[in-house]
Amino acid sequence: MKEKIALIFGNNAYASEIKKNLFEEYETIRIFTLKQERKTQEEKGDGEYFDLSDDWSELTERYDMQNSIAFCALEDDANNIFLCISLRASFEHLKIIALSSDKESAHKMEMAGATKVIPLVQTTADIIVDMLEKPITTHVLHNILYGKGNLKIAQIKVEDNNYFEGKYPSDIEWSRDHGVLVLSIMDEEMNSEFIYSSQAKHHPIKNGDIFVVVGYERDIEDFDKLIRSIE
Amino acid sequence: MFKRLIVDFFYFLQTSRSYQKTRRFFYNFLENDSYPHKKYFDAFMMMLIFISVATLIREVKHDIDARLLFFNYYIISLIFFTEYILRLWVTSSVSEIVIRHYENDSMLGKKLNLLATFYEVLRVKLRYILSIKAIIDLLAILPFFHQLRLLRIFILFRVFKLFRYARSFQILTSVFSAKKFEFITLFIFASIVIIISSILVYVMEAMNPASPINTLFEAFYWSIVTIATVGYGDIVPVTDGGRIVAIIVITAGIAVLAFTTSLVVSAFNEKLDEIRETKIVNNISSTKKYYIVCGYESIAQEVVKKLLNSKMEVLILDEDEERINQAKKAGYAALNFDPGSVESYKKLQLDLNTQVKAILCLRENDVENVYTALTIRSLSKEVYILSLVMQEINKKKLTYAGVNEILYSKELIGMVTREFVGQPVAFEVIHALRSEFTNINIEEIFISNHVLENFVYVKDLMSSMYRVVLLGVYKKKLERFFFNPIDSTILEEGDYLLVIGNSYFIQEFTKYLNKR
Repeated sequence: MKEKIALIFGNNAYASEIKKNLFEEYETIRIFTLKQERKTQEEKGDGEYFDLSDDWSELTERYDMQNSIAFCALEDDANNIFLCISLRASFEHLKIIALSSDKESAHKMEMAGATKVIPLVQTTADIIVDMLEKPITTHVLHNILYGKGNLKIAQIKVEDNNYFEGKYPSDIEWSRDHGVLVLSIMDEEMNSEFIYSSQAKHHPIKNGDIFVVVGYERDIEDFDKLIRSIE
Repeated sequence: MFKRLIVDFFYFLQTSRSYQKTRRFFYNFLENDSYPHKKYFDAFMMMLIFISVATLIREVKHDIDARLLFFNYYIISLIFFTEYILRLWVTSSVSEIVIRHYENDSMLGKKLNLLATFYEVLRVKLRYILSIKAIIDLLAILPFFHQLRLLRIFILFRVFKLFRYARSFQILTSVFSAKKFEFITLFIFASIVIIISSILVYVMEAMNPASPINTLFEAFYWSIVTIATVGYGDIVPVTDGGRIVAIIVITAGIAVLAFTTSLVVSAFNEKLDEIRETKIVNNISSTKKYYIVCGYESIAQEVVKKLLNSKMEVLILDEDEERINQAKKAGYAALNFDPGSVESYKKLQLDLNTQVKAILCLRENDVENVYTALTIRSLSKEVYILSLVMQEINKKKLTYAGVNEILYSKELIGMVTREFVGQPVAFEVIHALRSEFTNINIEEIFISNHVLENFVYVKDLMSSMYRVVLLGVYKKKLERFFFNPIDSTILEEGDYLLVIGNSYFIQEFTKYLNKR
């Protein structure tokens, strides 16, 4: 069986931070540096070179590209867009995450086939404003998201379970009975809805639904055992 | 003995708290433009001036109520007189002069030279008395002696006092004084033309019986009317010589007018930025909570936009003129001040501890951010500073510079990608919660004493009734967040509730908590 891989395109501080955060999920990480950035690469002595016109078919032969991920973190937005489109043309199901310096490029990257675009300036500005305006919320959510405390967030899939089958989310006392809070429910059509919205209120729980729950690690584990599958 | 008494008396004044407090009180009202309550005093004085002038106009053809006349001539004059004396008192300190002289003399082993001291006091006070503003103030008091009809006209001098109270008048004065040299040159040129043409036209016309110009005054009047391009036509030269003079004066008049217009326009243009700056500084000093953003590069631009969307007050400081112009074009309060200079904050007349919510060092340059942070820390130990760091290695330097929160954007982006890779749905949910574009939000509700009057335990909150979910309670004393708190958790002042729900329901829930 072919192994999955994380491809990081770019040779800069963003790329190295991404690499640091991928070790848990991906055993194989390959870093590609654009030939134009060769000078800096020589200083680091890490990774391989690539050209925007390269053919990526060799990757298909070696890796399971359906379950792999690529990060487009090149310095220049135009190059990043071109890279997104080349990768999408070669791999239909590859998860592509692209970094963009502004919203305009972000939109183009989405059009070029990126699965998720992270606009650097906007994301940093959002974090700054959140820190200033909602410091406690930011702190709590940060700890939940990045696992810096006992509190965790998890995606739990309902599979072959009769416990919730047919019940409505609003009928269940999540926090009292299970010690967790359900933030949202995503159904099989991949429509994510907050549990607090009226749509979610009228959505009977079915097999295949994914719950996004917040809770202490133990409670989440118990809750998971109850419905058997954790993602 | 007499000298000793004088020195003791002034030392007493200088050290007396109540005396200094009173003096400071009047100084603030009369002279300190940054004093927030001065504007009320100024408005009151302006109202007196308008009453005074309106009475003068009405009095020309109508009978005026005796009480109003009494108020106009005596009460207003008395108020102006009191103001004049108070200004004379607060503009310079006699006790400071006496003590300085005494200390200087005693250091040199001499006795206090009373005459020299008296001379300096007189000189300082006279300098004030002879200033144009003080003269206008004095003339505005003269209508008190209204029995002398001529002195009534001095009420008009009260109009000039408006210059003191209205800031826009002060700006106008500063605009003209900036071009003082050019205006003087123009005045001299116009005066020479007027004098020569008056004499010339008088010489040409006075001997002609058909000419309306018979006296030098008439010639002078004609010259001024002509050079000002007014041309009433009541007096016109009839001789050829007189008409030639008229041609010269008319030509000179056009030049004078064009020159004056261009002078005024250029003076305003040059001062425009300064006028805007003064306006921004005045607005800031009267506002309670400001965010100061140092630097206006890409991240700062986004932060400013978002803070303004959340109805926050923001002031941008950047030493780069181009970036500041960009901020000004976007309609933001921006000043071309160096955020790394102590002088900039002094000019702002801000109390960093009470008037500033946070200072954000958002230059995309670590050296600049460290420098700015140190400057701010040298002025205030308490103000909250948040700074960007571009290279991880410089994080520690910013901590040493006294920054409260350091943001290394690359690290944050790395963490964001990890979460996205690990749990994409959870990631999107959390981000949607924080986003302003969804109806479902996460909000912090402050527990005040007022809330505690009705709600003591978590079970009392009944959040589910309002269809909001209590994520947890942040206990201020313990500096800890309690997720999904049990019903018997006690609420205390300063705690925060973290609730999730539809923004409208959260609003209703907050109202319910704060009900009377």
